[in-house]
Amino acid sequence: MPTLPNGSIQVEQVWKRFRADLTAPLFYDQLKRLRHSIGPGRRNYRWVLKDINLEVEPGASVALIGINGSGKTTLLKVISQVTYQTAGYCNVRGRIGALLSITSGLHPDLTGRENVFLYGTVLGMSRQAIRKKFDEIVEFADLETAINRQVKFYSVGMQMRLGFSVAAFLEPDVLLVDEVLAVGDANFQQKCLQRIGEIVRQGTTLLYVSHDLASVEASCDRAVWLADAVIQAQGPTKDVVRMYRTAVEHNAMLVTANDGELRVLKAEVKATDGGQIRSDCDVEVILTVNARESLDGNFFIGVSQGTAFPMFVVYQHGTLPEGDFEIRCVLNHIPLPKGRYSIWAAMVGSKNSPYMPWNPVISFEAFGPDQFRPPEGVMILTPIYVKADWQVN
Amino acid sequence: MSSAVEPSPLGQDLLRVTDVSAIPAEPPPELFYHHRAGMLASAKRLWAHREIIFTLAERDFRAQYKQATLGILWALLSPVLTLVIMIAVFSRAKSFGTEGIPFALFSFVGILCWSFFASALGTGGNSLLSNKALLAKTQFPRECFPLETMGVTAINTVLSWIPLVILFVIFGRAPAVATLWAPLFMVLEVAFAAGVTMAVAGLIIQMRDLVQVLPVIISLGLFVNPVIWPLSKLSEPSVPKFVLPLYCFVNPLGPVIDNVRRTMLLGFEPNWYLVGIATLGALFYLVVGYRLFKRLEVSFADIA
Repeated sequence: MPTLPNGSIQVEQVWKRFRADLTAPLFYDQLKRLRHSIGPGRRNYRWVLKDINLEVEPGASVALIGINGSGKTTLLKVISQVTYQTAGYCNVRGRIGALLSITSGLHPDLTGRENVFLYGTVLGMSRQAIRKKFDEIVEFADLETAINRQVKFYSVGMQMRLGFSVAAFLEPDVLLVDEVLAVGDANFQQKCLQRIGEIVRQGTTLLYVSHDLASVEASCDRAVWLADAVIQAQGPTKDVVRMYRTAVEHNAMLVTANDGELRVLKAEVKATDGGQIRSDCDVEVILTVNARESLDGNFFIGVSQGTAFPMFVVYQHGTLPEGDFEIRCVLNHIPLPKGRYSIWAAMVGSKNSPYMPWNPVISFEAFGPDQFRPPEGVMILTPIYVKADWQVN
Repeated sequence: MSSAVEPSPLGQDLLRVTDVSAIPAEPPPELFYHHRAGMLASAKRLWAHREIIFTLAERDFRAQYKQATLGILWALLSPVLTLVIMIAVFSRAKSFGTEGIPFALFSFVGILCWSFFASALGTGGNSLLSNKALLAKTQFPRECFPLETMGVTAINTVLSWIPLVILFVIFGRAPAVATLWAPLFMVLEVAFAAGVTMAVAGLIIQMRDLVQVLPVIISLGLFVNPVIWPLSKLSEPSVPKFVLPLYCFVNPLGPVIDNVRRTMLLGFEPNWYLVGIATLGALFYLVVGYRLFKRLEVSFADIA
């Protein structure tokens, strides 16, 4: 095996399984299990990682994306040697900083100061390094006098600030971050992302797990998409994220319920002038629907980037007739930059009773200018196309 | 040694899509990972992470007395209270003979030795379970957890030797010069306790039933060890000859307690024959316990 430079990750044909029958707390269950293990049939295993191949060069920033339970955290744990692979090779060079949980290393009964030392050592810093960085850590966490208070009297936000601040000064060769920023206010998230950006610029390798595709696109140049224990695709963030979004959208369409009071039979989306859908043009959505009975309520149409959370929603109150008919809606000047989007629809009755659940009905491609990139470390939550006129006086 | 790495032939700017259907249901057998952690390499790695042991021990020690009004004084008070109870209970019980030592002094020395082992095993055996959150999120050597709890126990034990001074004053005695041998016995006890604690800590993860059984076994240990009876009982003519050396090998704590008494209270030289057997026993437990622990550690993070 060639010598790898510090900060590189090499994962080769890694497999990982868990026992499927882990909990059997009652004696009765134990007996049942005993009968099973005596009888035919092997032990039940569940593969959570299958044939994972991944190579990360020093200084690269790579995102791991995928739905819950796709194996992202397990892969991080194997790479950081918190747990061991069942098969395959995993080779990481340099000091690993694994930020798998932001507050689990904190002890509630100790003061903030004591916890800085505790958490820092646990993450792999020497006490001397912590002493040197102590003031910086406290300043970054914005805790001031609270540092001498017991951590159990901290708010959750303060605990997270403390935890992240310690980790932020770790200076590892490889930084693994697992979804730790999902909670916390916008200010804090922004600060964390900025700090992570700084760390990456200093040459640290970053492996970043997140469901927040916007922050993934903002902070990583490569992405790895995990699904069903397998790496489905890896490559430039934009391409992989687009594939992931399409797949999520596809899955959502598969589960579209067919037994509601209202069903979408056919969906069509086009530019009103008959050409391509471009940023800032008018778009018409035509839905052929079937209602079992006459319905009175609000009809919603939303546009999203594949997920269930739309970028915007329009709705109309009205009474729909029974039988098959068409609903047409023109969205004026759609504020969408270039990209792939999906249209979601729902109908909700006056007593909040859903006639049709929130489901994707069709997706489309918008053409137009690329979105402008924000300054580094700043992320765009929802891409919107806005025409701008500039003037410098 | 070249530090340069060849650029990945696949390139990193290319989108690579996996052919999922080409992946077999199970990995080929030669690919399976075998956990090899040699004693020496593990010990080296542990030494590199020694700061974590100190920090975790400090955490537990500080947390132990936080918010208690008397704070750290409890480390001194609780052994005194135990002593009072022991004297009240056992001085009325049938004495097994104390070789001319006042019973309180005789039993308190025994209790101090025993209680280190008992609480090291009690807290250390459960240390992986009580540190579950850290276990599943951090990568430092797992033996840090049982060893860290042993560290806390050690500090508490050292503090609880202080009331012994009171007893010496009460009975108008002074520890003999031979007491200087005591650190050697403590090393033996620590080695024995470390081995057993690591083995139990590792096994308890696999078999949670042990959580329930452990306290029972520990409380039995108070009577198995020569705490309120002298070890000389085993060298009486009515006992077969092989019992004493076997006992000393299986339970090195027995000769440790006996020799602490011999040196500290009676002023005799240590019984080297028994100390030798105890050393072999303690080393045996340490090596076997550590190996077992390292073998079991593969699954700790997964099933803890």
